[in-house]
Amino acid sequence: MNKNILKFFIPVAFCSLFIVYACKKNYLDVPNTGALDPGLVANKIGVAGVLVGAYALLDGEGSSAGTNNGPWATSSSNWVYGSVAGGDAHKGSDPGDQNLITPIEQWNATPANGYLDQFWQQRYDGAQRANDVLRLMRLATDMTPADTLEAAAEARFLRAHYHFELAKAFNKVPWVSEDQMYTAGNFLTPNIDVLPAVEADLAFAYANLPETQAQGGRANKWAAACYLAKVYMFEKKFNEAKDLFTTIIANGQTARGQKYALTVQFEDNFNPAMKNSPESVFAVQMSVNDGTGGANANQGDALNFPYGGGAQTDCCGFFQPSFSLANSYKVDASGLPFLDGSYNNTDLKNDMGIASATAYTPDNTTPVDPRIDWTMGRRGIPFLDWGVMPGQSWIRNQAAAGPYVSIKHTFYKSQVGTYTDASAWSNGFTANNYNLIRFADILLMAAEAEAEVGSLATAMTYVNMVRQRMVNTATWVPGSPANYKIGLYTSFPDQAYARTAIRFERKLELATEGHRFFDLTRWGIGAAELNPYAAHEATAGYGSMSGVTYTTGKSEYLPIPQNQIDLSNVDGASVLTQNPGY
Amino acid sequence: MLAKLTARGMALTLSVLLFSTVVFGQKTVTGRVTGPDSQPIVGATISIKGTTVATVTSASGDFSISVPSGRNSIVVSSVGFDEQEITIGNATTIAVSMKERISNLNEIVVTGYTAQKKKEITGAVSVVSVKDLKSIPTGTAEQMLQGQASGVTIIGSGSPGEGSNVFIRGITTFGNVAPLVIVDGVQSAPGDLSTLRDLSANDIESVQVLKDAQAAIYGARGSTGVIIVTTKRGRGKNTITYDGYYGTQRVLPGNPWHKATPQQMADLLFLAAFNTGQVKADTAAVCPGCVVSQQYGTGMTPVLPDYIRAGGLSGVSASNPATDLSLYNQDYAKGPIYLIVPANKTGTDWFHALFKPAPIQSHTLTASGGSDKSAYLFSFNYFNQQGTLLNTYLKRYAARINTLFNVKNNVRVGENLYAFYKDNPRIGNNQEGNAVNNTGWEQPIIPLYNSGGGFGGTAGSELGNSSSPYANQVRAKDNKNFDWQIQGNVFAEVDFLKHFTAKTLFGGNLDNNYGFYHNYRSYENAENSASNGYGEYASYHSNWNFTNTLSYSNIFAKDHSVKVLVGYEALQYRARQLYGNRINYFSDDPNYLNLNTGSNTGQSNGNDVNQLYSIHGTAVLAKIDYAYKDKYLVGLNGRRDGNSVFGANSRYGNFGSVSVGWVASEEEFMKNIAFINNLKIRGSYGILGSISNVPASNQFTTYNSGGGNSYYDVGLSGTPTLGFYAASYGNASTSWEENEILDIGFDATVLKNKLDISFDWYKKKINGLLFRDQAAATAGVGATLPFVNIGDMQNTGVDVSATYRGKVNNDLSFSIGANFGTYKNTIVKIPGAAGFFETAGTHNTGNQVRNQTGHPVGAFYGYHIIGIYQNADDVAKSPTETDAAPGRFKYQDVDNNGKIDDNDRMFYGNPNPDFTLGINLSVQYKRFDFSMVMYGSFGNDVLNYTRYFQDFWPQFQNAKSGALLTDSWIPADRSLPRAQWTAVNPNAKYPIVENNSYFSTNGVLNDFYNENGSYFRCKQMMIGYNFNPSLLKKAGVEKARLYFQAANLFTITKYTGLDPEVAGSASTFGVDYGNYPPSKTLNVGVSLTF
Repeated sequence: MNKNILKFFIPVAFCSLFIVYACKKNYLDVPNTGALDPGLVANKIGVAGVLVGAYALLDGEGSSAGTNNGPWATSSSNWVYGSVAGGDAHKGSDPGDQNLITPIEQWNATPANGYLDQFWQQRYDGAQRANDVLRLMRLATDMTPADTLEAAAEARFLRAHYHFELAKAFNKVPWVSEDQMYTAGNFLTPNIDVLPAVEADLAFAYANLPETQAQGGRANKWAAACYLAKVYMFEKKFNEAKDLFTTIIANGQTARGQKYALTVQFEDNFNPAMKNSPESVFAVQMSVNDGTGGANANQGDALNFPYGGGAQTDCCGFFQPSFSLANSYKVDASGLPFLDGSYNNTDLKNDMGIASATAYTPDNTTPVDPRIDWTMGRRGIPFLDWGVMPGQSWIRNQAAAGPYVSIKHTFYKSQVGTYTDASAWSNGFTANNYNLIRFADILLMAAEAEAEVGSLATAMTYVNMVRQRMVNTATWVPGSPANYKIGLYTSFPDQAYARTAIRFERKLELATEGHRFFDLTRWGIGAAELNPYAAHEATAGYGSMSGVTYTTGKSEYLPIPQNQIDLSNVDGASVLTQNPGY
Repeated sequence: MLAKLTARGMALTLSVLLFSTVVFGQKTVTGRVTGPDSQPIVGATISIKGTTVATVTSASGDFSISVPSGRNSIVVSSVGFDEQEITIGNATTIAVSMKERISNLNEIVVTGYTAQKKKEITGAVSVVSVKDLKSIPTGTAEQMLQGQASGVTIIGSGSPGEGSNVFIRGITTFGNVAPLVIVDGVQSAPGDLSTLRDLSANDIESVQVLKDAQAAIYGARGSTGVIIVTTKRGRGKNTITYDGYYGTQRVLPGNPWHKATPQQMADLLFLAAFNTGQVKADTAAVCPGCVVSQQYGTGMTPVLPDYIRAGGLSGVSASNPATDLSLYNQDYAKGPIYLIVPANKTGTDWFHALFKPAPIQSHTLTASGGSDKSAYLFSFNYFNQQGTLLNTYLKRYAARINTLFNVKNNVRVGENLYAFYKDNPRIGNNQEGNAVNNTGWEQPIIPLYNSGGGFGGTAGSELGNSSSPYANQVRAKDNKNFDWQIQGNVFAEVDFLKHFTAKTLFGGNLDNNYGFYHNYRSYENAENSASNGYGEYASYHSNWNFTNTLSYSNIFAKDHSVKVLVGYEALQYRARQLYGNRINYFSDDPNYLNLNTGSNTGQSNGNDVNQLYSIHGTAVLAKIDYAYKDKYLVGLNGRRDGNSVFGANSRYGNFGSVSVGWVASEEEFMKNIAFINNLKIRGSYGILGSISNVPASNQFTTYNSGGGNSYYDVGLSGTPTLGFYAASYGNASTSWEENEILDIGFDATVLKNKLDISFDWYKKKINGLLFRDQAAATAGVGATLPFVNIGDMQNTGVDVSATYRGKVNNDLSFSIGANFGTYKNTIVKIPGAAGFFETAGTHNTGNQVRNQTGHPVGAFYGYHIIGIYQNADDVAKSPTETDAAPGRFKYQDVDNNGKIDDNDRMFYGNPNPDFTLGINLSVQYKRFDFSMVMYGSFGNDVLNYTRYFQDFWPQFQNAKSGALLTDSWIPADRSLPRAQWTAVNPNAKYPIVENNSYFSTNGVLNDFYNENGSYFRCKQMMIGYNFNPSLLKKAGVEKARLYFQAANLFTITKYTGLDPEVAGSASTFGVDYGNYPPSKTLNVGVSLTF
């Protein structure tokens, strides 16, 4: 009996133990599938790829960080935060559609607004991708010092960009260096003035980037110089800015080696077939029909097209220029804008409340700056090659959102399928680049710097360079019945006048390009500009702006996202300080 | 590795077989088992006490069994009869007369690797009545469990084949809350209920639910409870049975969305315009104060148009030349779209255009039989449930072969094999914008079809943004979703040395899913798709477990019963998924579309990265059950689990439990208490584990590349350059989630064995809750953060079940059972700085659910409405609130700082029920039987998000509730400045109808949507008639039963949405985004035995 037990138990026990222990070692070692081991990218080619990955978030899309509200919340063009909040345009579409934009438009977004958190996450993801380049490059054994310098210069350019985006919107934000990362647990740092660090990164990029690049989509020395000068403007370092602008205007060239210049045709800046022109200082590259289903297209602007009725797309009628913007293009007898604010005394004739089937004659007497009709679609005026804009039938909800549609980020009818993605659900996925900085912007910033510390005459020259382009009638919308007129400034009598003129010129030239709100904050004139604006829009028929107030000391910046405050808690207190007023 | 392991497994099996040939002296006993009417009992089990030697009776009730030397008792058991123990003595023939069971204490209950009698059990186990289970006519077996076991919460839907949420004793994790399902010893993949879902109900022999610490024998899989299903085996004489039913599923009557009529919609548009002041200015020459509507004209009152669309125009009269049908074009290939869409002035009933009565049928043919040498069961089931929603259905063909061979007296081998094929196209249930939701959104003025024969839709002004659910579902007819699976096992058992049994089992599940879908270019909607497309996908999942156990059972000195089990187990799960998609096909012909015929551009294909994995696990386990005089019971079990998803240093976890039972009724002092027939007091404590839904990649830091994510056109070539991005941060120290479970309860049988009561109190505490880490964006959260163990959660609750059996006379007997479960869930700790995480995000309102320390899981979070501002004074006296104005919501100032801001959001709703209640009633009268199952959930809230679209005008002007016209806050005098408005109806239920969303209306999430989700449902009611066997004999039929059945006959609820039973995920449930409602079903069925 005992013998039997032994006879049985010994082999069974042996077998069992054998299985358990023989298998234990490697049976539970299962390699990961479907992803790259870090060792595979810690080399020259890998670092180059990670650098491309850091560029890839410039388009505002692709990061898996915070995608709840769609790419429009993180668009590279900042149409929500720069243009809608800045009064260039309204949210548009139906009031209920993407209604998280409405409080941003009304300068009272709450910290819980999901758009803000998503924007914050996307830009920091970009910064960390840039940092990944700097971290991995230290581990690579096959990179020469020249290789690492070049990689570091591009990575730091991008890191500066992502941080600057955040600083423009939120003011003080945490700075994330390459030493801070999830695995080290040291990523919670207070929000500070990051512009000095941004400046340092851009100065490094300016010093170390080549003048031209074999791949023209990369940042070059001059792009870094321009960005650095722009940051100086935000820091009010006008002397440094002026000097750098002077150098740039004299010597700057694109990464492809074209000397910086204004394009002959204003609209070429917004035409996907003409992108990367000599005016394009640094652009976010968009591509379509590349097998990604439109993922590398300009997704952030995909909602911002005339809607229905045979218009460009069936989606979605957002980003409708404001009455005030239209009025801003009114000019006096000498073709100059009404700098005293009187442009808003009466509204430019529009088709508000008039059905497309009802006859309508567009205004053909009031003199207007020709840039108006390359910026906004108005009834009765040709819209690129799409025919005459028919009014209401291209507007989703005219009663709620006004009679205008925006143009700059759109495309030509002849480009459907070539510069629009044929695989996306809407034609609104375009190859239209977003010009982060274009040369006209540089000239106007240079004018500003000159006006602040240098010569008013030089400032006026720069402004007139920008205006001069539009004097050429060949640059006007062909077949338009409008009465176009544009003149040059003949004198900037004093600094105050110069400031007003330059600021107004930025509004006209760069309208709907995502800059306006940040400019107003930079100039400290948000309340002065936007409160009358809100009142006017409400009267003109945009109900959402009634009773809306811009509060000085608060509305200049968006609130720090509540989610980030909550997640930055250390020992019961957040390392992040909420902006004043929120 | 698999081959290696199997070879080792065979070595074990062989060694077991080698040693099993030892034979001991024995004698043979024969006999017959009969029932109360002296009829033979077929398939009764005869076993030798203290061994695992057993046989079953033949068709004549006869048996023959070899009795090992030293054994002197046989135990006879049969379903529905009291078990009997008979001393053999010198007898060689034994006649056994069985008594009908009135107590269930001798039921055999499978408790994990072993089976025990119910009276020996020390843990909390719910035994589900298979009869009641089978009576629920549904294609998903987990739905059949609803209301059958205390402490088991099931939330299903009416969508055929749709999975349900199953929570055992509430929610104890943020990840994978699904219980472990074991079918015939085969363990499901984590989180996978599909092996249960697709079982054919007629194949089920028994279902047990392990709820407490005893599930520790399943270690890291036991913490969310275990559902053990045993399928039928053949027994007794060869029989063929047919079970079938056919019925119709009815749909909700009336106007389930409470929708406005076309005229009311027009009136609402005007009301909104008046309230918003979007009217023609006073200074205008024509029609001052008029509303300008593109659909309903310019004026003070709306006029319904003849056509809602004609070319580019809206609001067109019949006389307009634009309505000339020769202009019509819906074909993109032929040029610009030109639609002519008549107004349906009487209103289209979109709900009933999509939801129609639908048939349901099930047919099962089973052949089975058994002897003391072998048993077999073969069954075939055809199930076809057409969805009440157009083009949704579940068709399933299933076959089962279960066999068992007694090769020698002490050696048994067998297999269970189940294979099925199903065709189950579904909608994205409970998702915003699904077909159910869209039936609520589509305006009634829109016709199903336009004048040109195409679909009607929202193309046109003021018609909303919905896409036609009718067009979508009609087009979905060619979309397919197929699945075929093979589940089963092979096993061998050997008894040896009197007290030992060795068992080896290899079993698993192979799941192959494939399907394809067509996307059509739509023309009829406000937002159309610019391209057509076709996609195809295939996925493969497999899991297996190889389980070897050795058990020992003996009784020492008459009173000491000892059972020991040791075992070793290896497990594996694997998955792959492939998909491809092409667009821009020349034709929409579904026969033409395949992955080769589309355009070269815009194709995508790949693997679903989340579906690419292989997970390995190993375990050693042991279990000891000790009983002294059947009075004092102790159970111990333990398990050491290893799993490849965790890093090398944190891979192993030890789990175990101790349980005790005291059968008080066996004590002398209790025997005088006449009304207590049996009383057992139980307690158990243990540590269980869970890997939750930790993915195989959790321990790895990785980089990846993706066309959209990390490619960029740096070269300006139009073709983006390859780039990489940090894809995940690994955490090598993440380990098992530990659940500490304490359970105290009793089982009692009282009142002359008429009433069974089972009561349990429990506490589940989860330490090191697995939770996907959350970090501030500065960490770079584009990379996936790993799961970490830092959360804690706690559930306490009570489960009670009671069954009362009564017999009025020989003709009339009845039983009534109730089971009651309640739990209180508290999140004890959430990791990371914030102490909470939010889910259920919508782009309209942000996150709706906040899981926060100190609150229950899944709680709804937002502003609390305390009323509607009535006038300027009201606004002035109230805390400062953005957009505050008469007619809008007044929120509670939670922090009393005089200002409504983010800090004033509060927890206003809890989707966890106060309790759930199931009631089972059955009555037998002569040849008639009647049964009823009721189920209710009480005290749970539902966030009725569908009201966001229905009750607020600015939401795209989709269809609205008709009540808005009269029950919204309506200003008395609009000529006054807005701030001075007062209402004609201050008690309005809805805020003012306006054209814009505001913080103070629906711009942020508030508790407007919160509703009482309590309901009580008659799950099923059935009347059956059993024909007289003597009449049937001539037809060669042994038994015949005819029944009529009604499922979901009525539901008592105050919920205003389609149905209050709203599923979701572990951390987000009870949010109604458009839930497919269950249908009232009327069936007629028959069971025949040949």
